Amino acid sequence: MALPDLVAQVERRLPHPDDFTSPARGPRTTARLGLALGVAFGICFLTGMWSHYQYSMPGWLPIGPNPSWLYRVTQGVHVISGTAAIPLLLVKLWSVYPRLFLRPPREIRALALDGLERASIAVLVASGIFQLATGVLNIAQWYPWEFSFRRTHEAVAWIAIGSILVHVAVKLPVIREALVGRADDGESEASDGPSRRAVLLGAGAASGLAVLLTAGQTVPFLRKVSVLGVRDGDGPQDLPVNRTARAAGAREAAQDPSFVLEVRHGAKVVSLTRAQLAELPQRTHRLPIACVEGWSRNATWTGVAIHDLLALVDAPADSTVKVRSMQTRGAFGTSELPGDFVSDPRTLLALELNGEVLDLDHGYPCRIIAPNRPGVMQTKWVRNLEVVA
Amino acid sequence: MTGRLALGAVGVAAAVWGVVMLSDDGTSRLVNVAVWLVGGVVLHDAVLAPTVVLLGVAAAHWLPRSRRSLVAVAFLIWGTVTVGAANVLLDVGGKPDNDSLMNRPYVVSWLVLTGVLVVMVLVASAVAARRRTGRNA
Repeated sequence: MALPDLVAQVERRLPHPDDFTSPARGPRTTARLGLALGVAFGICFLTGMWSHYQYSMPGWLPIGPNPSWLYRVTQGVHVISGTAAIPLLLVKLWSVYPRLFLRPPREIRALALDGLERASIAVLVASGIFQLATGVLNIAQWYPWEFSFRRTHEAVAWIAIGSILVHVAVKLPVIREALVGRADDGESEASDGPSRRAVLLGAGAASGLAVLLTAGQTVPFLRKVSVLGVRDGDGPQDLPVNRTARAAGAREAAQDPSFVLEVRHGAKVVSLTRAQLAELPQRTHRLPIACVEGWSRNATWTGVAIHDLLALVDAPADSTVKVRSMQTRGAFGTSELPGDFVSDPRTLLALELNGEVLDLDHGYPCRIIAPNRPGVMQTKWVRNLEVVA
Repeated sequence: MTGRLALGAVGVAAAVWGVVMLSDDGTSRLVNVAVWLVGGVVLHDAVLAPTVVLLGVAAAHWLPRSRRSLVAVAFLIWGTVTVGAANVLLDVGGKPDNDSLMNRPYVVSWLVLTGVLVVMVLVASAVAARRRTGRNA
């Protein structure tokens, strides 16, 4: 069969937009879902970029230790708004699905414009689904792909937000008419199947339910309600673990009885056993661990303030300190504490968690805990602190 | 019009910046990213959406007219929440040595959620039916 005939045959079998009869579809439905989805993706974008910024923190605008709960909130909101977006996106795609079967115009200029718009929507849908899917899988620590999650999720975020802006620019007259126009387009009164109002209320309810069923990993009073959350907030010493000592390859070194912590400032080096660390002045603070995966939990930490350790090697209290872990596997084996964290008395080399000796999976013999930092920078199984500036 | 053009230009610039960031990666990784980007669209447009359309056709055929609306909205809520929770329900992810992650009875919770929605639909349609017969009597 000749190719044009084949195309014509396939075309005859494809549905037409008119074949989809639900009166709940239409611009007034789509624009309202789009508005909610735009807000959710906008929040995801801003909080996500904030997190990337905090990971790579350049010197020109340092993020300080205050307020101690800030990262907990921004990253919790990031994952919550992404979760809320899943039902909204699915219902929005449902509302425009018939338009996928619109036949392209024959006139060449119109055809080019139509092709361009379809391409931009393909980018929008692909990047939107990609962000939500990879985000959900990252939270469950499942990486069935070859690319780097962090860098790709960041790059595709720019593509997603860019294609949303293009889409809004293209559709603005339709959106305006759909949101504020009073003209009765006959789509609202359904005799058969759900009305527009019912679909919108359903989408809102689904979005809210998806949040309720997962947000307990960061919102304490929802812990019992969030039965579909990947974390229930429990773990050794009442705190979840992101990476165990076994996964980090730190089990042997961390349990070595001859462990000494090395504090280095140029040529001056002080070595301290865990018992000697415990004899230094101890401070107790309540600080959250807040992970990029959106979970967070407050805990009570006891240990030595980092600037007290710096005093032993005659380093200024606001020095920048490089922290090295005993971990042998995985990323973030080192971290850098900027001066304004080091000088904060809440930034500790913690020895105890919730009144007990630090669990091996929480970083025994000693770990960093500082206010307002992503979890991966709260380095565990610390073996070395070095003043670098 | 100028405002729309400016908005579109900002959007194109942001998307191009995203592509530039991606292109730092090697070819095989880029192919993998492309597979995931296209895969999501194909999964939705060619599998999920047609399935929902067919279920709609079936509902229009089998369900009494008066119940369609209720069932459709309940299905919307159930279906979208289920898709969002697909990974915990299929038990993908988690780490064998970390029981503070993926540590809940997800399938049981999901069955309860499903049951609650079914009961809500049954009760609501019974109430609606009684109201109708009350009116007709």
